[in-house]
Amino acid sequence: MSLSAHDLVQLQTQLQDAAISCTERCLYQSAKWAAELLTSLPSSETDGSDTEVNSPMSDGRPPQTPDRLPKDPIETRLEACESHKYLLAKTYFDCREYDRCAAVFLPSTLPKGSIIPSSSPSTKTKTAAKGKAKAGTPSKAKLTFESVQGLSQKSLFLALYAKYIAGEKRKDEDSEMILGPQDGGVTTNKELVGISAILEEWFTYLPTSGRQPQGWLEYLYGIVLAKGKNEAAATEYFIQSVHQYPYNWGAWQELSSLVGTVEELNHVAPSLPQNIMTYIFHIYTSQELYQSTEQIHNQLNQVLGIFPTSTFLKTQRALLYYHTKDFDEAECIFSNLLITDPHRIDSLDNYSNILYVMGMRPKLAFLAQLATTTDKFRPETCCVVGNYYSLKSEHEKAVMYFRRALTLDRNFLSAWTLMGHEFVEMKNTHAAIESYRRAVDVNRKDYRAWYGLGQTYEVLEMHSYALFYHQRAAALRPYDPKMWMAVGQCFGKVNKCMNGIRAYKRALVAGSYYDAGAGSSFGSQEGAGLGGGILDPEVLYQIALLYERLNDMQECAAYMELTLAQEEGPEDGEYSGMPGEPMGVGVTPTTSKARLWLARWEYMRGMFQRAMELANELCQDGVEVEDAKALVRDIRARIEREKDDGRSDAVTDGSRRVRNRG
Amino acid sequence: MAISRYLTPQKISLLVLVNLYCDSVPTSSATIPILSFILSHLVPLVSSNARSTHSAVYQNVGFSIQAFEDVLLGHASTMPGRTVLDVFLRRMWEINSFDALHDLFSNLGELLMRTREDAEREAAAGVVHPVDQIFLSRTSPLGAFIRRARLEFTRLQFHDAMKLWSAFISYRAPTAQWTRRIAPLASTGVDAIVADMGMKENDPLFEVAYGHLEGEDITEQVISADDFDRMLEFQLDQLQRLGCRVPDEMRKQLRTMLGPSGVVLRQSHLVKFFDAWKAGDYTSAFDNLHRYYDYAMQTREKIHYQYALLHMAILQADFGCFGESIAAINETITTARENQDMTCLNFSLSWLNHLTKAYPKELKRAGYIGMLGSEREGLLFLKSKAKETKMYNLLGATLLNEAKLCLATGESIPRAFEYMYQASHLNIRENINIYGSQMLLESTLYSRLGIVHISSVHCELLLHCYKGSAPIDEQIRAIGRCAFIASQSGRYDDALALLESIPLSTHRSLKFHQYIYHCTGLIKLRRAIRRTNWAAVDQLLLKLTPDSSTDPELTFLLTEARLSSLIQRGRHPEAFSLIESLAQELKDTNADILQRVSMLITKANLFAKVGNAERGFSVALRAASIAFKARLMPSLWQAIGLLANILNAIGEFAAAGKLLDAVIPQSLEHGDLSLCATLYAFQADCSMGLAGQDDPSTSNGQRRRAVNVNKAEYYIDRARECYKRVEDIEGECEQLCKKAILAKLRGDEQLAEEWAQNYLATWNAARERIGEEVV
Repeated sequence: MSLSAHDLVQLQTQLQDAAISCTERCLYQSAKWAAELLTSLPSSETDGSDTEVNSPMSDGRPPQTPDRLPKDPIETRLEACESHKYLLAKTYFDCREYDRCAAVFLPSTLPKGSIIPSSSPSTKTKTAAKGKAKAGTPSKAKLTFESVQGLSQKSLFLALYAKYIAGEKRKDEDSEMILGPQDGGVTTNKELVGISAILEEWFTYLPTSGRQPQGWLEYLYGIVLAKGKNEAAATEYFIQSVHQYPYNWGAWQELSSLVGTVEELNHVAPSLPQNIMTYIFHIYTSQELYQSTEQIHNQLNQVLGIFPTSTFLKTQRALLYYHTKDFDEAECIFSNLLITDPHRIDSLDNYSNILYVMGMRPKLAFLAQLATTTDKFRPETCCVVGNYYSLKSEHEKAVMYFRRALTLDRNFLSAWTLMGHEFVEMKNTHAAIESYRRAVDVNRKDYRAWYGLGQTYEVLEMHSYALFYHQRAAALRPYDPKMWMAVGQCFGKVNKCMNGIRAYKRALVAGSYYDAGAGSSFGSQEGAGLGGGILDPEVLYQIALLYERLNDMQECAAYMELTLAQEEGPEDGEYSGMPGEPMGVGVTPTTSKARLWLARWEYMRGMFQRAMELANELCQDGVEVEDAKALVRDIRARIEREKDDGRSDAVTDGSRRVRNRG
Repeated sequence: MAISRYLTPQKISLLVLVNLYCDSVPTSSATIPILSFILSHLVPLVSSNARSTHSAVYQNVGFSIQAFEDVLLGHASTMPGRTVLDVFLRRMWEINSFDALHDLFSNLGELLMRTREDAEREAAAGVVHPVDQIFLSRTSPLGAFIRRARLEFTRLQFHDAMKLWSAFISYRAPTAQWTRRIAPLASTGVDAIVADMGMKENDPLFEVAYGHLEGEDITEQVISADDFDRMLEFQLDQLQRLGCRVPDEMRKQLRTMLGPSGVVLRQSHLVKFFDAWKAGDYTSAFDNLHRYYDYAMQTREKIHYQYALLHMAILQADFGCFGESIAAINETITTARENQDMTCLNFSLSWLNHLTKAYPKELKRAGYIGMLGSEREGLLFLKSKAKETKMYNLLGATLLNEAKLCLATGESIPRAFEYMYQASHLNIRENINIYGSQMLLESTLYSRLGIVHISSVHCELLLHCYKGSAPIDEQIRAIGRCAFIASQSGRYDDALALLESIPLSTHRSLKFHQYIYHCTGLIKLRRAIRRTNWAAVDQLLLKLTPDSSTDPELTFLLTEARLSSLIQRGRHPEAFSLIESLAQELKDTNADILQRVSMLITKANLFAKVGNAERGFSVALRAASIAFKARLMPSLWQAIGLLANILNAIGEFAAAGKLLDAVIPQSLEHGDLSLCATLYAFQADCSMGLAGQDDPSTSNGQRRRAVNVNKAEYYIDRARECYKRVEDIEGECEQLCKKAILAKLRGDEQLAEEWAQNYLATWNAARERIGEEVV
C-alpha cells in the first residue's frame, strides 16, 4: 500500500491537526501517539526539510502545514469568544487543578454522585439525573444546561474531561491501599453521573441546535457509558466519534477495549469509516485478541510502509511475535527499539516478559536499570524491576514493585497478572486469586490471568471451578496447547474423561499448529523446542491414561505407543529434517513412564519378549530402574515357569489334578 | 542524593577479595597481609587495649582502588605466573553487568560454613567442593561481614542498587589499563549487555544508561552512612582524647561529603559541638550540643540525658559561667543517681572535685558549698567508688589527684610518690592512658624537689613518646614548662622559640591559644623586668591581666611577676599591699603551699629591698621551715638566702656564710641562675662583712682580709656572671658597682674607674637596647 504525494500531505496535515487538537483538549496520550506517527512518516519532498526554518527561503510559515483543515464556523466563533477563559482552563488542567479547570466553564451546581454507588451508573444515570431534576430544582438543572449550551464543544469537552479526571483521581485516592479493604469496586467515580447528565442533554438537543458534532464529546460520552458497563451504547458513541474525528487514537483504543472477540471485531468492522486509522485499529485490536495471522502481518507490513519508523507499529509487530511465542524475533525488535529510542518506556513491561521467558537475566537487569534511570515512577518500570526480582526468586520484592506499579496506575494490567503469579509462588492463593480477578476486570482478554485463576483454583483442589477459567483462557488462545492441556487436566480431575480426551486432542492439534513453541510466561519449559511433526508426549501420555480410566485398553496402548514413538520423531521423508540430527524428544520421564506402562501391559498380555525388551531399555536409560528390574525378574520367572510348565506339563498333569481336588 | 547505608564500591571490592581468599587463590604467604588488609577496613575503630596503638593509624574510609593494588601486587597467587592482583582484577571485571553484581551477592552464602541441611542437600545433589575451599564461620569477622553485606544488599531498593552499580563502575574504571591480562575483559566496556547490543560509548542508549557517570563526583558515591559513622567516631575520639579541633582540610572534606548528601548524622552535631567549643564559639557550641541531644532523644536513648548535662556543665565552666555550670553538674549528679549510671556519677563527682580545686574563688562566688565534704574525703570516696565499679580511669585520675593534694598541702613527698606509682602501675596494667597527666605531675614533683633536670626530662618524655595519645592540653603544658625552665637559665630566645614552635592549628582552640599567649607574655614580662624595660613591662602587664578563665597557676605566676616589677621599680608600698591581700586570699582559698611560701619569701625580700631586712626575719624563717618540711627546695634556698642576708645585716657574717655554703651547690644544680646570682651576691656581702671584721692591724688579719676581699670579688664575679646570663641589668650593674668600690678599696683608682666605665657602658647598652626594642 503506497500513498500518492497528495495523500501523504493530506495525512500529514490530518495527523498534525490531531496532535494539536488532542493537546488542546488535554488528551496527552493521543496527542503523543499522533505526533509519533507524524514523525515516523518519511520526509516528503514538499515539506522542504533541506531548507532551514529560519532561512529566507521559507516564507515564514511552518513547513509542515501545507493547507489548513476547514473549521466549523459556529464553533470557531464560540471558541474565539471564550479564548481567554479557555486558556485559563487549559493552564489549570496542565497544573493538575482539575476541579478548578472544570469550574471555569461549568457552574458548580451540577448534580453530584448517585445515591446508590454500587448500582451500575449507566442505568441509573438517566433516572438519577432526571429524578433529581424533577424532584429537586428543575429550574436549576435547566439553567445548568443553558449555561452549557453557549459553550464551544472544545471548552465543554475540556471542562467535562477535567471533571472526569478529577473524579478518577478521587476514586483512586479513596481506594487507598492496593488490595486493601477499599480497593476494587467499592469506590466509584462520583462525577460520572453529572457528566453523563450534561452530555445526554447535549446530545438530545444536538439535532435541533444546528451545530455540527466534532466527535470529542461523543468520545467522552462513550467513556462514561463504558464505565457504566453500558457497552453497546458506548460502542455506538465511539463509532460515531471516530466517524466524526478519525484521528483521535484514544477513541480507537477505547473501542478496541470493548471488542472482546474476533466475532465482535468483525461485527463492528463494517460500521467503521474507511481510512488508515481503521486499518491501524484493526491491526491493534487483532493483536490484542492474539490474532497473529499471516494476514495481520501483511497488513502491518503495509502500514509500516507508510510509517517506516513508527515505534508503535514496531511494538505491535513484536507483540504479534510474542503471542505466537516467537520470542527471538520479538526480542530482536524490542532490542532495536531500545537502541533507537532509549528513553522510551512504553511497552517495556512486555519486553521484560519476553526476556523473563527467555531467561535472559542479565539483559533483563540491564533493561530494568535503563528504565529506572529514565523514570523510576512509571508502572512499566516497576513491572520490569518486578519481573527481574521474580526471575531472581525474590518474590517479596517483586510483589513490592508490582504493588508500586499498581499504586501508580490501578488499571495497569500486566502488573495485576504478574503480581498474581508472584502470589502463587509465595503460596498466597487468596491474594493471587484477587490479583488475577482484578486483572481480568481490567481487561477480559488477558488469557494469562484467566489461566492463572484456573491454576490457583487447581491448587485449591477446586477443579470444576478451575475448569471455567481454563475454558475462558482456551477460548482466548485457541491455538495454545497449554490452555487445552489445562482444560483436559481439569476434565480428567472431575471424571469427564471423554471431554478431557477431546481437550487433549485439541491441544495436540494446537501444538502442531505452531511451528516452534517455546513455553509460555509461566516459566515451565516443557514442550520447548518441539520440531515440526512432533507431538507432545506428555499430552499423548495423558490421553492414554484417560483411555485407561475408560477401560479402553486398546486405545490406551495405542497412545502409549505413540508417546514412545515421539522419542524417535517422525519417519524421514515427510518432515525431512537435517539428516543425522535426532528429530524426536529423546528419552524423557514421560516416555519412560509410557514405556514402563507398556512393558507391564505386554507382560499382562503375556507378550513376554516385548515386555522384556522394553524393561531392558528402561534399565539402559537409567529411569525407573527399580521398577524395571522388578519387572524383569517377574518376566524371567514367568518365562521360566512357562518353560517349566511346557516341559513338565505331561508329568505333572496327574498330580496337579490330584492337588486340585485336594 | 541520599548516601547508601552500608554498601560502597570498596565493600564490593572487599567482597571480591574475600571470595578470592575463600577460593584459596593467594598463596599461604600472602594470606596474612591480605586478611589484615580486609580486616583493617572492617573492624570497628573503637580502640580496645590490644589495638590502641593501631587505631592511631587511621584507615581512610574512602580509600581508592589504588589501595588494593598496593596490597595485592606483591603477592603471588596459586596460579603460576599471576599475582593476586591479576586474579583480583579479573574477578572485578567479570562483574560485567548489573545482573552479575546481583549474582555476586546472591552467591555470598556459598562462602559460609555449611549447615547440616546444606550439607545434606548438597550431598543429595552431588555437589563436591574443591579441597582447598575455605568456608567462613558465620560468626567470624569475615562471616559477619558477608552476612551483613548480603542483608544490606537485600534491603536495597532497585534504584539504590543501581546507584551502587554505577559507583562501582566508576570506582573500578581506573584499573582497566593496569594489566594486559584483563584487557579483553575490560574492552567490552562497563557492561557486557550494552556491548552485546553493539553499543559503544556516546551512543544514545549508552548515554541513557551510563551517561551520568561522567561528571559525577566520586567521593559522595563511595562513602556510606556506615563509613560516615566510623569516620565521625574517629573524629570524636580525636576531639575528646586530644581536645583539639577538626583540622581545616578535614572540615572541608567533611562538608563536601555531608553537604550534598542531605544526610545529617547525629554524630556530626557532636563533632560540630566539640569543634565550636574548642574554637571558643560559645553560642554555636550550645546550639550544637542541644541539637545533638535532641536527636539522641529522638532515638529514645534516654541514657544520653545525664551526659548532655555533663557536657553542658563542662562547657559552662570552660566559658566561665560557674553558676550555670554548678547547676548543671548538680542536676547531672542527681540524674545519674536516679538512672543508676555509676560511670557518669563518678565522673561528674571527680570533675566537680577538679573544678573546686581549680577555681575555688569563682565557685565560692557562685554559691557552691562542698558536696563531698573536705577534699580528702571526697577523693577517698571517689577512690573507693572507682575500685568498686572497676573504673580504672577514674581510679588512676583520683590517685594522681591525691598525689597532687599531698603536694599542695605540703605533706610527705614519699606518699605523693606512692600514689603516683600506684597510678602508674594501674596505667600500665589496665592501659588507661593517663600518661600525660602522670608525666606532668612527676615533672612538677621533681621541680619542687629542685631537680630541674629530671623535671624537664619528664616533660620531654611526654612530648616525644606520648605525643599521639596525650591530650593537646597536656602537651602544651609540657612545652610551657620546658620554656619556663629554659627562661630560668636565661635562654629566653630558646624558650620563646619553643612556644612558637607549637603548630599553628593548636591556636585555633581558644583555651590553648590563651595559655600559650600567657606563657609567652610571662616570659617576655620577666625578661623585660630584668632588662628594666619599664615601658614594655607596663604594656605587657596591661595585656596579661588575668581573668577568671585563665589558668589559676598562670594567674599566680603573673601576679608574682607584677610584684617583682613593683619591687624593682621601687614602688614598695604598692607591692606590700598587694602581697598582703594576695597572702590573705591564698590563705582563704587554702591554696598550694608553694604559692603561700612564695608570698612569704617575696615579703621578706621586700623588707630586704627597703633596707629593713631584719623585719623580715620571722617571715623568712617561717618560709624556710615550711619549705623544708614540704621539701620545696627552690623556695627553701631562696628563704635561706634571705635569712643569710638578714644575718649579714645584723653582722652574723660567719653564720650567713655557712648557710649560703650549704645551699649554693644545690641551687647551682637547680639551674635557676637568678637565684644563684642572688645567693652569690649575698655570699659576696657576707665575705665583705667577714673582711670587715678582720683586724687589719695584724698581718694575719690583713691576709685574711685580703683573702676575704678576694673571695668577695670572686663571688661578685660569679653573681655578675649569673646576672648577665639572665640579663638582669640592675643586678649586673650592682655587681659592677661593687667591683668598682672594691677596686677603690684596694686603692686601684684606675681599675675603679675602669669598672665604673664598664658600669656606665653596660647601663647605657641596656638603655640603648630598650630604645631599640621600643622602636
